[in-house]
Amino acid sequence: MMQDAIHIDDLSFGHHGAEQRAIDQISLNIAAGDCVALLGPSGAGKTTLLTLLDGRLRDWQGRVSVLGTPFEPTRALPLAKRADTGFIFQEFALVERSTVMRNVLNGRLGRMPSWRALLGNVSKSDMDIARSTLSDCGIADLADRRVDSLSGGQRQRVAIARCLAQEPKLIFADEPVSNLDPSRAADILTLLTSAAQARGATTVFSSHQPELARRFADRIIGMRNGRIVFDVATRDLTDDATAALYDDTDPASGARLKVVS
Amino acid sequence: MRSRDLGGFWAGLLVAGVVLWSLITTDVELSRLLSAGPRIADFLGRMFPPDPTIMDEIWKGSAETLRIAILGTLGAVFFSVPLGILASETMVSAAVHRPVRTVLAFIRAIPLILVAMLMVGAVGLGPLPGIIAVAFHATGMLAKFYAEAIDGVSRAPIAALESAGAGPLLRLRYAIWPQMAPVVARDTIFRFELNLRESLILGIVGAGGIGFYIQTYVRSFQYDKAASVTIAVVIMVIAIEGINVALRRRFA
Ligand SMILES: Nc1ncnc2c1ncn2[C@@H]1O[C@H](COP(=O)(O)OP(=O)(O)OP(=O)(O)O)[C@@H](O)[C@H]1O
Ligand SMILES: [Mg+2]
Repeated sequence: MMQDAIHIDDLSFGHHGAEQRAIDQISLNIAAGDCVALLGPSGAGKTTLLTLLDGRLRDWQGRVSVLGTPFEPTRALPLAKRADTGFIFQEFALVERSTVMRNVLNGRLGRMPSWRALLGNVSKSDMDIARSTLSDCGIADLADRRVDSLSGGQRQRVAIARCLAQEPKLIFADEPVSNLDPSRAADILTLLTSAAQARGATTVFSSHQPELARRFADRIIGMRNGRIVFDVATRDLTDDATAALYDDTDPASGARLKVVS
Repeated sequence: MRSRDLGGFWAGLLVAGVVLWSLITTDVELSRLLSAGPRIADFLGRMFPPDPTIMDEIWKGSAETLRIAILGTLGAVFFSVPLGILASETMVSAAVHRPVRTVLAFIRAIPLILVAMLMVGAVGLGPLPGIIAVAFHATGMLAKFYAEAIDGVSRAPIAALESAGAGPLLRLRYAIWPQMAPVVARDTIFRFELNLRESLILGIVGAGGIGFYIQTYVRSFQYDKAASVTIAVVIMVIAIEGINVALRRRFA
């Protein structure tokens, strides 16, 4: 039996100064090696949940443990423990004035001794990993280009390459294809999920496109108002449940919907 | 409406009061005031024609002023890098950046010429007190600019490096610095221009540079020579301005 990559028990969190909780009493386990999609309307709490699981939020309630490490509710995750979880950001979060190669090497900063990284001294093995992830992502020829000269699709590939170069055991991808046209979106998700599978990494990605979630995920979690509305194996997801997730007129929204007959 | 009219009345009264107070308490006799015009005309007359034989002094003075500005700016950059980091919200907590910002504000409040006078007292005549004074004075502004440059960068790449496990210094080096570099270059050049302008007069208090000759020639009534130096200073200011405009266009 495989160990859970993520273990969440009765988790709640409110952003500083916000009236409503962004995460409201969530409990959930994700098995190692799974590919899970997170669906939900804007403001559902997808980004907040992924950020929290990435170890970057504090002052939450409940119990969380990721890759066997229990998180402390009052503190952000120590830097030394962060390298094992990779994060792909909604708006890429690349350093625009740096080259593609430099951005991908930035993904390795947590894996290098700090003093060497500060001196800009890149070891051959770090360089090899960066090169091979660039070619895995199909952007080997862009290595020396500055990011601010790239298209949206190219940037997304750089963002994925940076995450993969980190060699994470767990990948969080926050709307990795929201800025792309449908065929590019499918290409990018193919790249991401197959790279994750090849590396044996667990993947959680959020999306606004139920079709893509169905196509790429083994399991789909629907969120709304900080709560889990449904949590099903992909083949068990009904069209009604997806429709209800985004339906503003549904009085039962926010409450648990019955999705499996 | 009425209260606004009344406000105008009080403001007028205040201005009149201040002007009257200055006139009455300033020790200027009417006769001296009346003769000031002709005296200034006479003074200006004695400045002409400017004496062109002191080119050597002008070159020497200008070169020293340039050196003071360059080394003073270098010193200011040296201190502004750590102080700028300590004054930024992004890098340190409020318990650190608030007091550092207050200290910088105090430094900015002390006029350069005053710092220069104090430094002449401390280390003696020559360019050294000028360099120290420029470095000190400019740090007050430059460290603040650097802190603002750090705080002005986009946050997302910083979070991305944090997520990858990079510590504060690595985030500064690889997420913040690439974004702030052009701002730092622009601000440093701007401050260098100010330093050059301000160090033109430092010699008047004995802190080195071309100002020394103005003071010497005025004191010894060699107004034609003082005029030459003044013209040189004006030309330098215009040249600095021109170079700066060109540079700024490059960094816009
Ligand atoms: N930094 C913040 N400060 C205060 N409130 C926040 C902050 N970030 C998010 N929120 C609030 O928390 C809730 C959840 O936001 P979150 O960004 O997690 O939603 P999301 O599901 O990712 O939405 P989207 O699909 O638009 O990205 C929203 O109500 C949002 O307004
Ligand atoms: Mg989001």
